[in-house]
Amino acid sequence: MKNYLNLIPISSKLHRRQTRMTRWCIVISVFLISAIFGMADMFLQSQKNLAVMTDGAWHVVFRELDEEQTALLAARPEVKSVTRYAATNYKLDMGYEVGGVQTVLCGFDETFFEIYPQAHLTEGAFPERDREALVTESMRERQGLSVGDEVVVAAPGDSLTFRVSGFVEDTSMMLKTDSFGVFMNTDTYLSCFRDATLTADFACYVEFVPHCRIQRAVGDICESLHIAKEQVSENARLMGTLGQSGDHYIMMLYLVAFILAALVAVSGMMMILGSMNSNVAQRTEFFGMMRCLGATAKQVRRYVRTEALFWCMKAIPPGLLFSVVTVWGLCRMLKVITPTWFSEMPGFGISLPGVFFGILIGILTVLAASRTPARKASEVSPLTAVSGNAGTVFAAKRAAHTGRLHVETALGLHHAAGSRKNLILLTSSFAFSIILFLGFGIGITFMKHAIVTLRPYTPDISVVSQDDSCSIPDSLYTALKENTDIKRIFGRSFAYDLPAQIQGEDKRVMLISYEAYQFGWAEGDLRQGEMEAVRDGEGVLLVEKPGIAAAVGSDIELETKTGRQKVRVAGILGYAPLDSGEGVGTVICSEDLFRRLTGETGYTILDIQLHDKSDAVVEGIRSAAGENYRFSDSRKNNRETRAVYFSFALFVYGFLAVVALIAVFNIINSIAMSVSARMRQYGAMRAIGISVRQLQSMVAAETLVYLAGGLAEGLVLGMPLHYYLYRWAITARWGDAWRAPVIECLVIMTVMTLAAVAAMTGPVRRIREMSVVETIGM
Amino acid sequence: MEIVEVQDLCKTYGMGEAKVEALKHVSFTLQKGEFAAVIGESGSGKSTLLNCIGALDEPTGGQIMIDGRNLFAMREEERTIFRRRNIGFIFQSFHLIPELNVEQNIIFPLLLDYKKPDSRQVEEVLEVLGLQERRRHLPGQLSGGQQQRVAIGRALITKPKLILADEPTGNLDRKNSREVMELLRKASGQYQQTILMITHNPNLITSVDRVMQVADGILSDLGGNVNEKLS
Ligand SMILES: Nc1ncnc2c1ncn2[C@@H]1O[C@H](COP(=O)(O)OP(=O)(O)O)[C@@H](O)[C@H]1O
Ligand SMILES: [Mg+2]
Repeated sequence: MKNYLNLIPISSKLHRRQTRMTRWCIVISVFLISAIFGMADMFLQSQKNLAVMTDGAWHVVFRELDEEQTALLAARPEVKSVTRYAATNYKLDMGYEVGGVQTVLCGFDETFFEIYPQAHLTEGAFPERDREALVTESMRERQGLSVGDEVVVAAPGDSLTFRVSGFVEDTSMMLKTDSFGVFMNTDTYLSCFRDATLTADFACYVEFVPHCRIQRAVGDICESLHIAKEQVSENARLMGTLGQSGDHYIMMLYLVAFILAALVAVSGMMMILGSMNSNVAQRTEFFGMMRCLGATAKQVRRYVRTEALFWCMKAIPPGLLFSVVTVWGLCRMLKVITPTWFSEMPGFGISLPGVFFGILIGILTVLAASRTPARKASEVSPLTAVSGNAGTVFAAKRAAHTGRLHVETALGLHHAAGSRKNLILLTSSFAFSIILFLGFGIGITFMKHAIVTLRPYTPDISVVSQDDSCSIPDSLYTALKENTDIKRIFGRSFAYDLPAQIQGEDKRVMLISYEAYQFGWAEGDLRQGEMEAVRDGEGVLLVEKPGIAAAVGSDIELETKTGRQKVRVAGILGYAPLDSGEGVGTVICSEDLFRRLTGETGYTILDIQLHDKSDAVVEGIRSAAGENYRFSDSRKNNRETRAVYFSFALFVYGFLAVVALIAVFNIINSIAMSVSARMRQYGAMRAIGISVRQLQSMVAAETLVYLAGGLAEGLVLGMPLHYYLYRWAITARWGDAWRAPVIECLVIMTVMTLAAVAAMTGPVRRIREMSVVETIGM
Repeated sequence: MEIVEVQDLCKTYGMGEAKVEALKHVSFTLQKGEFAAVIGESGSGKSTLLNCIGALDEPTGGQIMIDGRNLFAMREEERTIFRRRNIGFIFQSFHLIPELNVEQNIIFPLLLDYKKPDSRQVEEVLEVLGLQERRRHLPGQLSGGQQQRVAIGRALITKPKLILADEPTGNLDRKNSREVMELLRKASGQYQQTILMITHNPNLITSVDRVMQVADGILSDLGGNVNEKLS
């Protein structure tokens, strides 16, 4: 041994248990900190990925630019590409058709494929020459096209002919609306629609060079090219993930998330701090002995600091490793469950911010945390080593109150509350988790509002009547019901715009038929009345909305093809997935009643959910249905929705899990530390004759104080925070009134209580198994 | 009446080469009110003997009867309660509870039994120990001698039949040592308590009833008038 600092590894061997606890504590804190930043990083990457896939890689779009402005825009150094884009029959209401199918015609520059990767070329090349066009895959299949063929687009009073230069994948919108797409270059587009089109009809989608400060660049461009602010809009989702959005709300959202993540880091720091504090406190005697043997206060201080670095070296790498593996696992999940959408995400990427923050905060915290103990240690008087009172650790300042309570309970309470500083530190760190949990919990509400989710009734595909009449015969329904690839099939019949009398007032309503499945799903939205009578065809459901109201039991008069009829309102629904438009009521009845009322026998729409979602199955159903109906394919749209929802949910719940884990580890660590700090005292009490059961109660009382204090403090501080965050993030945007986060509170309280119970088992076992003689060192 | 009856007590630590036979077939008895001292070199097995009698440590072999009851035939919980009611401990390094004041430390064994301490008795003990002025002080605010007196008070408060003291004066100066011995002798004389005390200090054994010596785990009885022999 050349230097007194070489004592460190030796001492850490001697104090293996305490050291192990502190080391674990650092490992876990580093893990959690690095995981939360790694997750945040991956979250941003996944959202960026999604935004590019669904909305495109463009940052800003300029509308109504003239040719000169467009040219000047493209020439600017911060602009990576400008893509002109225009579309006709976008709403499928202008009568452009190919083989009777509504067709969207788009004109754009070749760079379109860079900024919109979802629409990629499957064969052929971008149309260079005049009157050349790309067409969608579904059109190729149903028209039997190949490259070089001619297609004729029927236009209102005219027709347009193109030579096919290649094929493009369908967009989810086109699949859902069962429409074709014909894509040409801008010159062809202009020549086709010369009369109706100006350069100004083109929107200019701009992608900026990386690391450009986009808001400022847009400001410059607008100023120098005389473009009004109204002509500019941004790709909000992408810009949000880049932290460059001009949308105040989105930026604040990211800011809040970042602050919460930083607070998670703070609670990790507090954990290390507490652990190191009690670690040094427990070895007061050892430091006293060093001082006895002639170490200066400065040497002791240096000793503690070097020791802290020694721990950092040992504990930070495993912590980082755990977090990297966790983030890998999450990315894997993302990629496996929603494969197409996250192909750009690295499978085994290492999040640099995660690792960076893990190391930085780890080292800084350990060093900062070692400051106080270092000072304390250096202040240990040499005398401490030679006095052997039980638990020299916490020099008590006040005596415990042993008056009314059992002495073990009183002592337990005193252990917790005797040192105000200790109590505040521990309860605050417990409370912190609750506050963070409530804060992140708003993410779930946000997610439910901001992201459309798949419902139990969301179909994979639908067969829809061409003209919204009840023209789909029962026979098709029964035939498809036999198909084993189909999980569920459920039909609806519609009768639109029926004159009706509700509560004596003349209104218009839409009458819809439901069957067993749909009645089942509607059950949760039933506000008044009962469903049974409606199922049996003895009454109808009325959907609540402004201007349309009737009491359960009252009658509605409907006028249908078969005359005026009275139906009884048997129930009121708060919500229905189908909207009839403003001022028009929605009335739902059974299939039988619908047929009696209207005289119709067919369906307007058949919704189908599949077991096997493959293209082959869908093609089979399409051909079974025949060409007489529209065929809406929502699979791609559903996958997109699921990807968006899943990627968000994964990280929101991931953050919540990290916060809960922090609470759990923090509690376990605190209790273990507190008990092991008093082990000698417990040993002495055992010698005097305290029973193991009494010691258990003592530890339980102490734990209870921390837990109750932490919960109370957490709720008192967390609720207002939740209220204000909710008001700002949810109420202001969607109008929902604040509600107390009961479930979140219950979850975190249960987790913490279980953690506290679990936290006691280890120390209690150590107390039971301890050898009195060895513990008090006789 | 026999308060302590030790028969054929053996204690071995460790296994194989590291095996230490700390006590080898020790047998003796102590009568009610007897004040006995155990002397012997460091490492000879004195503390081990005391810890076994006090049920802090489990012997490897043999039997210990305290007041007619076999210590190691009891269940752990029962033994703990028996110990706190019948055996008082005094340690070399006091082992007071730092969060309790002088009075609370003294009545601690009673509190563990959920008994209400008799205030007259507490006053008496405090007076005997000369700690009336200090009753609200915490251990950290006391001198070594005062702390040891508190520890003695704690051992006396339950009026145990047996008091075990492991070098009670080891951390004290001569004046305090003499006071502690005084107190112990008073206890054995006045309350008929049996005391077994380990000591290094030959001066202290002048006033005990009986001296035993441990050497290498073997106990030999030196009888009542060892002082002449030793000197
Ligand atoms: N926990 C233990 N493990 C192993 N050996 C022990 C242990 N405790 C005591 N010993 C050994 O037993 C012997 C007697 O120790 P002890 O009774 O403490 O002696 P002393 O007479 O000084 O009080 C010594 O040799 C000591 O090394
Ligand atoms: Mg000893």
